[in-house]
Parts: sequence; structure tokens; C-alpha cells
Amino acid sequence: MNYGVVQEQDWNALTDEAFRAVVRTEFETHHPQQLRFPPRRLRWSENKSWYLRMAAKGWIAPSWPREFGGMGLSPSKMLIFLEEQERCGIARFQDHGILMVGPVLMRFGTEAQRRRYLPPILACEEIWCQGYSEPNAGSDLAGLRTEARLDGEEFVINGQKTWTTLAHDATHMFVLARTDKNAKKQQGISFLLLDIKVPGVSVRPIRDIAGHEEFCEVFLDNARTPASNLVGELNHGWTVAKSLLGFERIHIGSPKLPEYGLQVLQSVARQQGMLNDPVFRERLARLQLDVAHLGDIYGHFAAIVGRGEPLGPEVSLLKIWATETFQRIAELIIETAGDCGGHSGDVRLGELGIDILAPFYKARPSTIYGGSNEIQRNILARQVLNLPA
Amino acid sequence: MSDDTLRMLRDSAADFAKLDAVRVRRFRAARPGFDRGVWQEMGDMGWLGVLVPEAHEGLGLGMRAAAIIAEQLGRALYPEPYCASGVLATLALLHGDGEELKQRTLPQLAAGKLVASLAWQGEGGGLDVMQCGVRARQHEGKTVLEGRSRFVETPDADAFIVSALSERGLELHWIGRDAAGLSCTPELRADGSASALLSFDRVVATEATRVASIACAVPALELAIDHAVIGASAELLGVMDSALALTLDYLRTRVQFGKPIGSFQALQHRAVDLYIQKELSRATLEATSNTLSDPACTPKQRAAAASSVKARASQAALAICNEALQMHGAIGFTDEYDLGLYLNRALVLSAWLGNASVHRRRYSNLVEAAA
Repeated sequence: MNYGVVQEQDWNALTDEAFRAVVRTEFETHHPQQLRFPPRRLRWSENKSWYLRMAAKGWIAPSWPREFGGMGLSPSKMLIFLEEQERCGIARFQDHGILMVGPVLMRFGTEAQRRRYLPPILACEEIWCQGYSEPNAGSDLAGLRTEARLDGEEFVINGQKTWTTLAHDATHMFVLARTDKNAKKQQGISFLLLDIKVPGVSVRPIRDIAGHEEFCEVFLDNARTPASNLVGELNHGWTVAKSLLGFERIHIGSPKLPEYGLQVLQSVARQQGMLNDPVFRERLARLQLDVAHLGDIYGHFAAIVGRGEPLGPEVSLLKIWATETFQRIAELIIETAGDCGGHSGDVRLGELGIDILAPFYKARPSTIYGGSNEIQRNILARQVLNLPA
Repeated sequence: MSDDTLRMLRDSAADFAKLDAVRVRRFRAARPGFDRGVWQEMGDMGWLGVLVPEAHEGLGLGMRAAAIIAEQLGRALYPEPYCASGVLATLALLHGDGEELKQRTLPQLAAGKLVASLAWQGEGGGLDVMQCGVRARQHEGKTVLEGRSRFVETPDADAFIVSALSERGLELHWIGRDAAGLSCTPELRADGSASALLSFDRVVATEATRVASIACAVPALELAIDHAVIGASAELLGVMDSALALTLDYLRTRVQFGKPIGSFQALQHRAVDLYIQKELSRATLEATSNTLSDPACTPKQRAAAASSVKARASQAALAICNEALQMHGAIGFTDEYDLGLYLNRALVLSAWLGNASVHRRRYSNLVEAAA
């Protein structure tokens, strides 16, 4: 079976250096200059051409196994891929299809679902967003109230989702919905796939404090999806969702953003003449090590994924460390920028124009989304440290 | 070396190294500061030879194995100078060019018959091997060593490998503890162990005592120190792991206000932060040991990797032990309770071979130079 992409090359057979060279050449030669290091998430209309190129090359899903059309990269190769992306300032698109839907279908989906959904994800023809949070179900996600009722061969979905990243770029959404109101909280939830271009779905962007419109509210008013779009068993969606949280945590836990933060920090410090200031040097070294050790522990978890083993609740620590490290870096950038620390947009600093606040606005919500860091600490305390309730 | 070998080594080391707090307390401020019988057992199990090649009657297993042993010994607060003799002195000797000395002493070190320690720092300490505090000069047709060397692990070593600066450069010499002109003043440390301040008054050095000539003394020293820095980090990992486990147990069982205090979210979240520090230390130690096992690893990469892990482990061990004390309350501050043993050990190991701040600075300079 192939899913539209046949991976000719065994990338893992290359040496790390050779692989890095191949990736770097591709990125440096072909990634458009004007799209590098954008201060905000780019919309699909902006970075579509790049990702269609990646899709055409078969590079759109670096972490997927080769039999599913991915590059099948080993953890160390994956790290190189991410590092090179970061070096070049290549921004993400709405990649929930790659990061979440693909892995979840590989694990829980039927062959029919994989055949239907994986090829358009690999071709970037269908773009996915995540329908998890609701106005009254944030940290307490299992308290969600969106309902799906089986009507013949279709589910009818009613409710409201929120904080849905780039829903306005998406064609599809995976939705957690309550399918049994009488069951206990976690037990009556199902995991459904939904075409959001069907009648009854409306998407409204939400403006954030940085002035961007990256997340949305999604209203579901008798939105219909075929019963065959149920992933996993009916009322067992929480298990599916939880496994995705593992993928999400490892993704949020990648050293990519903190590494980008360090690059900005060093540019700002150079312009401000701070690079030889001993106090600054000490603080920079601390953060450099925080990021280096994030890379080490990320490698540890990536290796677990690479071996095809499930991620335990320990992975929450990765999310905490990555996001809080990124915040510390973003705060030091502002401090180092001194009088320019409150200037927005591209700020002239010496000979450079640097968006001082971009890392800050990227870092701030990262401790909230994907399960707030307080929730992650609760999980670790209970499930890993076995502390009492 | 296979992962299975390492797993077996970890299991046997963990079996051997169980905390015997009575023994740990008995060796505090005592001379000798450790048990020769235990040292012999460690030799019998091959642990003192994991870094010694088979040609010299060792096991030649490499740094990953040494780190596993050091971690387990740290976990159980062993007072025996594993990293000082089994890593630091052994590697300095091995990478020197005193072939006859190697033939004679390496098998004895590996077998647990001998304890050696490296004397390489001057009174100011620091990581610069050129600041060694001892001079080699010509006196009446002989080479003699003069000066002082400080922060030498264990005054109870049978021999010291002494780093001395001559007009031509740095050399290493094997000086027996009873050598004429050598005096040793122990300096007591927080955990009850002692480090030695060695004074050299015309101590005679010869061709036969030379561990490393100027041709290789500096690289041999730097290699040995980087490895020992990683060994000390592994030992710190063991210490912090035990201290955290003890604290988590306490949080689960200590009842106040009618509940185990570990049910309070404020304490839970703090405990999680300590756990994260421990896991970062572990991941970094693993990555570092792997870096060193790679034959393509350059001295600069090795130094950066060593500094990286020591900076993390020193900082994490102290943070964990300090917070552990706070979470225990007053009982944690008593000598009767074991937590203090871990905290005091963490203080010593964090300071030994460069503390977190020193290694952060070195790391930062090394990565900047590489960029």
C-alpha cells in the first residue's frame, strides 16, 4: 500500500553530516528569503508555495515512517532537520495533519481511514485543526460539552470549540465530542473527524494581544460527519486524545523555539554591546545550557518515539522545560534591548531591524496551550512521582 | 560495548552499592577516610579497571561504564575515591608516556591494590592546568619538585601523580606518599572527607617517576580531568536521585493538617521542578558519555560536553538537596537524619573540579570559540 508518496531514499543511511548538507542546501537554496524568521505564524496563503514544494519532494512528513510516506527520520536525523529549519527561519504552517492526525490514524485508525486521509495530508490538500478546548473546558478538558449524536449513518455535532489555532486555514478538524452524557467525564467522549466546509460550521478568528489572528472560535451547529469518521471506539475518544497529547508535548518540547530565541538574544546583545559583559555572559551561558540540555532530553524522548514505544506521562516535563526556557530567553531579550524593550514590530537596533517582542509573544502562550504547565505539573506529581491526591 | 553489558553493570553496581549510613558516618573525619577492603572488592569486580585497556589488565569498557559505577556509588554515598583514583589518576597515567610506570602500576590500580590521586591544582584552584603550584627545577644535578598543590582528593592515597611546571613545560610525576620532602595537610570538607594540601620541599623526581613528559602531559591531564568531571557529575546524579527519593517518600507519609503533605499542590509542583532538574542531569550525562565514546570527538567537544554536564549536575544536586531540606522541615537539619549526608556530599562534589558557575563560563567560552 502506498499513500501517495514513495520515499526512495533511506535518509538514515546517510551520515549526519551528509544529511545535514542535503537539508541545508535545499532550505538555503529554495526557501524564500522574505518568509524567513517571520514575527508571527504565517497564514497558508503566505507559505503555501514552500510547503507544496516540500510535499512534492516527499519532505512534508519528516517524522512519519516511510511505509506511510514519511521520511522515516531517526531521532538524530529529525533533530538535524529541525535545527536546519530553525537556522533558516522556516515557519510552521498549520501542520496538525502531519503532527497529530497522521500519527493518530497510524495508531488508532482503520485502513480505510488511512487511505482516505493520509494522502491529502501528505499532498497538503487538506489542512487540519484541533477541536479540543471549549469556553468552559480549558485545563479541565474532560469537562467538554460539545455533543455528537448518531443519526443514521452520520454524527450530528453541536457545540463550540475555542483557541483553535489557524482554523481559518483549515479544511478539516478533529473534534472531541461527548457521545454519552450519562457516562463519567472521560468515558463518554469520542474522537471524530470533520470536514469544516460542511454546513453548520462557522469559524471566527480571535485577535490576540500581539495583534495577530492565529486562533479562532469554531461554532458547530448541527454539523454532520459520516459515522465512518469515528477514530477508535465510540466513547473511547479520551484514550485517542491522550495519546495525541503525548505527540503534542513532544512537539512543543522540541528545542526549536528556544534555539530561535537564543539566536535573537545573541543578535540583540551584539547590537547592544553586551556580549562581553560578564553578567550578561553568565546569564547567556545559563540559558545556552538550558537549551542544550533540553536538546539532550528531547533526544531521549524522540528515541522512545523512534523505537515505536508509547510515551509515558514523563513527557510532560519536556513541555514544561521547553516553554519555560523559551520564556526566560524571551524575557532576557527584552531586558537586553533596554530602552527598545517596549517597541513593537521591527525595531532598529544598531544596523539591524529586530522584532524584540516576537519571541516574547510566541513564548507567553506556550505555557498555557497544550495543557497549561500547572496541569503538566499535576500530571507529573500524581502519575510519575506518585504523590497523594 | 553493548547495552546489555551496561545494563548488567548497572544492576550489579546497584546491588553492591546500598546505602549503609552507619558506615558512611563512621568514615567522617576519620583517617583513613575509606575502607581498603571495600576498595579491594571494587577492584575484584573490575570497576577500577573499566577505563584501563585490556593490555594493562583492565576491562577497557569506557566512560559510559565508569559513569554508571560512579552514579551508583554516589547514590549510596560511598566514601571510596572512585573518580579520583579510578578515573582521574588512572587516565592521567594511561595517557602519559611513562611506559614502565604504566606496566607496573596500571594493573595494580585496576586490581584495587593501589590508590592514586592526581595533584594538579595550585592553591587558587581553577581549571587551568598551567596553574599547578608546583615547579620542577634542577638542583645539584637532580630534578626536584617544589611548591604546593591543593584540592588533592584523599590524603590517604598511596601515591600522587603530581603536575609540575619546569622551564620546558608541564610534566607529571609519580610520587609515593612517603617520599622525602613531601608533606600532606588534610583539609576537612562538609561531608567529613578530606582533601589534601601537599607541600613539596625538594622532592626528587627522576626519569623513573615520570608519568608524562612535556610532550603529552597537558593533553593527558585535560583528558583525565574532563573524564573525572563527568564522573563527578554521575556521582552527583546518584546523590540527587537518592535525596529526591527520600524526600518524595517523606512527602507521601508525613501527615500534617490531617493529610500527607505531598497532597499539597504547592509542594507537588516544587517536587516536580526538582524531578525535572534530575532528569535533565540524567539526559545530559547520557548524551555526554555518548559524545565521549565517539572516536571522532575532539578535545574541545569533550571539554564542552564535560562542562555542560557538570554545570547542570552541580546546580541540580544543590537545588534538590536544599529544597529537600526545606520540604522535610527541621528533621532534615538534624545529623541523625540521612538527608544531611546527601546535602553535604552534594556540597563537596559540586565544588570539586569546578562548580556550576565555573563550568558555565568554560562552556560558554568553548561554544563561542567553536561558533
